[in-house]
Amino acid sequence: MHGRGGQGAVTASRIIATAAYEEGKYSQAIPMYGTERRGAPLTAYVRIDNVRVRERELVHTPGISLCFDPLISLQQAVANDLKPNGQVLLNAPFAPEKSELAGEINIATVDATSIALETLGRPITNTAMLGAFAKATGVVKLESIEKAIKKYFPGRLGDMNIAAVRKSYEKVSPWVPAKNKVAPKMQVDLEVGGYGTLKDVSSWRVFYPVVNEEKCIGCKTCWIFCPEAALEWKANNKPAMVDRACKGCGVCANECPVKAIEMKRVEGA
Amino acid sequence: MSYEVMVGNKATAVGCKLARVKVAAVFPITPQTTITEYLSEIHASGELPGFEFINAEGELSSQVIAQAAEAVGARSFTCTSGPGLLYMHHPMQETASKRLPLVMAVVHRGVKSMQPDHSDLMSQQWQGWLHIYVENAQEILDTTVMAYKIAEDKRIRLPVAMGYDGYVLSYTAEPVEIPAQEDIDAFLPPYKPMPGILPVSDSSDKWRDFEADPKGFGAGWGEGDPMKPWQMHNEAVLNGEKVIKEVFAEWGKKFGRTYGNGMIEPYRVEGADCVITAMGTIAGTAMAAIDKLWADGKKVGLVKIRSFLPFPRNDFQEIAKGVGAIGIFDRSCQPGFYGPVYHQMRSTLYDEAKRTPILGFIGGLSGKEVRIDDMYKIGEKTLKVAKGGKPEAPIQWV
Amino acid sequence: MEEMILSPGSTCQGCGAAMAARLTFKVLGPNLIRHGIPCCPDHVTKHPRQGAVFEGGGSSLTGSSRALKALGRTDVKAVGFFGDGGTYDIGFQGLSAAAERNENILVITKDNEAYMNTGGQRSGGTPKYAETTTNPVGPNSRGKNEPKKNIPMIFAAHYVPYIATASVAFPEDLMQKVKYAKDIEGFRLILIQSPCPVGWRFDPAKTIELARAGVQAGVWPLYEIEHGTTFKLNYKPKELKPVSEYLKPQSRFRHMTEVEVNEVQANVTSNWQRMLKSDEMKTVVL
Repeated sequence: MHGRGGQGAVTASRIIATAAYEEGKYSQAIPMYGTERRGAPLTAYVRIDNVRVRERELVHTPGISLCFDPLISLQQAVANDLKPNGQVLLNAPFAPEKSELAGEINIATVDATSIALETLGRPITNTAMLGAFAKATGVVKLESIEKAIKKYFPGRLGDMNIAAVRKSYEKVSPWVPAKNKVAPKMQVDLEVGGYGTLKDVSSWRVFYPVVNEEKCIGCKTCWIFCPEAALEWKANNKPAMVDRACKGCGVCANECPVKAIEMKRVEGA
Repeated sequence: MSYEVMVGNKATAVGCKLARVKVAAVFPITPQTTITEYLSEIHASGELPGFEFINAEGELSSQVIAQAAEAVGARSFTCTSGPGLLYMHHPMQETASKRLPLVMAVVHRGVKSMQPDHSDLMSQQWQGWLHIYVENAQEILDTTVMAYKIAEDKRIRLPVAMGYDGYVLSYTAEPVEIPAQEDIDAFLPPYKPMPGILPVSDSSDKWRDFEADPKGFGAGWGEGDPMKPWQMHNEAVLNGEKVIKEVFAEWGKKFGRTYGNGMIEPYRVEGADCVITAMGTIAGTAMAAIDKLWADGKKVGLVKIRSFLPFPRNDFQEIAKGVGAIGIFDRSCQPGFYGPVYHQMRSTLYDEAKRTPILGFIGGLSGKEVRIDDMYKIGEKTLKVAKGGKPEAPIQWV
Repeated sequence: MEEMILSPGSTCQGCGAAMAARLTFKVLGPNLIRHGIPCCPDHVTKHPRQGAVFEGGGSSLTGSSRALKALGRTDVKAVGFFGDGGTYDIGFQGLSAAAERNENILVITKDNEAYMNTGGQRSGGTPKYAETTTNPVGPNSRGKNEPKKNIPMIFAAHYVPYIATASVAFPEDLMQKVKYAKDIEGFRLILIQSPCPVGWRFDPAKTIELARAGVQAGVWPLYEIEHGTTFKLNYKPKELKPVSEYLKPQSRFRHMTEVEVNEVQANVTSNWQRMLKSDEMKTVVL
C-alpha cells in the first residue's frame, strides 16, 4: 500500500488486517517508514491468510497494490513486482484505461481524494480507498471494513469515515488489464531514505500558490515567511514559486496582506 | 630526558602534555581523579600553550566534549573509571562510529566496587574502540603518546582506550623516565584530521556544501547496505594489529624501550613447557612468580597481553604450537559467561591442528589482591596439564 | 544575506521550525559549524554539521568551541540548533553546565513544545492542558498537568551574557536578536517559538498567524536578558489579545473547558504584569 505520511496508509493497513480478522482470517500489517514526515512517501504491507502468518519479511511480490495518493499513482513503482495478473487499485481522477502503468496487471481507479474532501472535508484518503478495495478485490466484505473502522474511529468520526467507505464502494471502476505490458526504463524512486536532503518535493503538494502580480505590492511578506525558501524574488519585484521546493503549505497566501496569492488545487491531486 | 618518581595518574598527565593534547575534558571519579588535577595544573601553569581544559559536569559530557573537539580537528583526551565509563556508554559508541582518534585513560575500577578489576573496560567491548592494558607507570607514559600515533594512523582512525589498575598503579609511585619533548615531537607529528567539519576558509564563497558527518561507520543513516558499516568497522579494528606492532617497534628504536611486539609481551617463554597469560598490574606480579617457578625447575612462561582488542590471535596461534598448555587469568567475569580473555583464547585456538589445552582462572575481582603465590600456583596447575594431567575444573576461581 | 537552509528541507508543510532555521541562519551566514542532535528538524542547513547524542548538545558545542579556539580558528562559530527536548529535558544538564562555564557558544532552541521528532510526546516545554501522545485527554487526564518550564529565566539565572525569546511571526525582531548575539563572547541562548502544524494540530497555512496570536496574547512574550540582570520587553501591545484566540485554532487544546481557559488567561495576565514591571525597572528579579 503506497501513500504519503498523513494520508493514513498505515491505519488503512491495520483496518484491513482487523477486517480480515473479523471474518475469521489471520492477518499481519507492517509499516515501512523512511522520513516520518507529513507528505513524504511511505509504504505499508498487509498479509491475510487462513492460518497464522509467521514470516515477517516485507511483502516483496504482492498480489494487490493500493495507492492512496494521486500523484504517486502515476509512478510505475506502485505496479512493479506484482504477482502475474496482480491487481493495482489507484486513487486517481481518471478511468483505468488512461493509466500508463505497465505490466501483466489489472488496474482499477477511484477518485478517493474528491470523496474524502466531500465526506471528511480533508484529503485524507485511506478510508475512501477501503470501500473501493472491498468491492474491487473482494478480499474482505464491506461490513467487515465498517466494523473495523468503528474500532479505529469512534463516534461521529466513524460515521463520516463509513460514508467515505460506502461512497468509494459504489464509485470504484471495474478492472481493466494494463494497456502497456512493459515497464518504462526511467522510473522515479519512491525511497525517501533517511534524514538527508530532498531534491524535489513538488509531488507533496495538493495545492500550490498562484500570484496575482497586479494585486501584489512587493512587500516580501510571503517571501520572508516561506519555510522552504520556495519563493524566489523576481526582477519585477514579484514572487514566483520555486517548483521543486514548494510543499503547498499555504502560509504565503495566508499572510499576504492584500490577498494577492491564491492556493490552487494541483491537477490530478 | 629526565626522570621523576611519580604515580601512575601523573604519568598519564605527563603523557598528554608530551603528546601536545589540545583539549582535555574531565570529571572526577576515584581512582582517576588526580589525572584531572594534574591536567588542571598543567593548564594553570601555562606550560602547554593553547591547551583547553574543561571541567565537565559529568563523564557523558566529557566524552561528548572530547569527541566534538576531535571532530573539529584538535587532539583531545578524556579519562574515567568504572561507573563513569558506564555513564559515557552512549556517546562512546559514536566516537568510534565517527572514526575519531580520541585517546582515553580508563583507570580500572570494578563495576561492583571501588577497587580495581577489568569489568569496567570489558563491559565496553562492543563500542568499537581499541583496548590496550598497561602494567606500570613507565608503560602508561609511553603508551599514552603511542596511543595517539596508533589512533590517528590513516589505517585505523579509531579511538583507543588505555586501561590500567586503580590504586596499585594509579596512586603508586615508581620511577619514570620522561623523554625530551623534541624527541616526542619527532615521533608524534601534529594531528591531521580527515576532511571533516571545519569550514575550509573564512571567506563566504569557499565554504562547503552540506555533507553528512565525517565519513565514519554508521554515519549515513538509511543509505546503502546496512551490513557494510559493521564490516568496515570490524576490519578497521583488526587492522590495529599491524599498526600497533609498527608503532611499538618504532618507539623501541627511538627510545630504547620495548614492550614485546606491542600486542603481547612474552616473558621467559623461550624453552617454557607452558605459558600463563595476564593483563595489567598482575602481569608484573606474574613475572615475579615466573622467576620463582624457573628457579624451582618449573618451566612456565608468561605472555602479558597488552592489546585485548584487537586480540593477538596470530601471536597466540604461534605460541600455542610450542607449548603444552595455556593458563589464562581473567580479571573480570561476565556473569553467565565467565572471563572474556578465556573465551577469546578458545575462539582463537579452536581451528588449530594441534589442540592445546587451556585453563581459565578468574581472580582479582573487586580489588581482591592477587599475590605472587597465587600466580605461582596458577603456573603449577598449568604445568600439570601441560605434562598430561587433568585440570580440577576448566575454569577456576582464584 | 545568503539563504543557508536546505531548500527544500525534509520538514512537514508549514513547519515553524524550518522558518526559525531559515531566519536564524540567514543572519549567521556561512562561517559556522551547526550542531545537531536528534531533533525535528535536524539537517536544516548547508553548513558543516557536528552531530551528537540527544543529551549532548551543550557538550558538543563546548568541544567544538574549545577546539576552534585551540586551533586558532576563532572566525568560525559554534552554533547549536536544538529542540525543546534537547534544551529543557534530556539536554538540560549539558547546556546548564556549558552556561555555568560560560562557554563561547550560541544556542538556538526552536521550541515546538513536545518531542515532535518521535511523534509528539510531552516535554518540559509542553504547556499546561496541551494534549500530546503521552498525555492524552481522557476521564483521568486533562492533557499535561504541569506548567511549561521557564527556560529563559532558568538560563538567565546562570548570568550568561545573553538570553532572548523570539517568534517566527516577528522576523525582524528575531533576526535582530540573532545579529546581536552573533558577535558576543560567551554563552548565548535564543528560544524561538516554532508552531508545529502536525503536533499542535492546526492548518499548516496558519503557522505564522498562530505564532503571532501567541505573542499578541502574551503567551509568548518577546524579551531579552543580559547577564541575568538587565531586562527588556521587546513587544508591548496596548492591550493583550485574549488567550482563547491563540488556543482555539489548536486541536491540542480543543478539550479545554471555559474554566481551564480562564485559568490559563489568569496566569498569562499575571505573568504579563511581572514582565511589564521588570521592563519598567529594566531589570529582572531572579
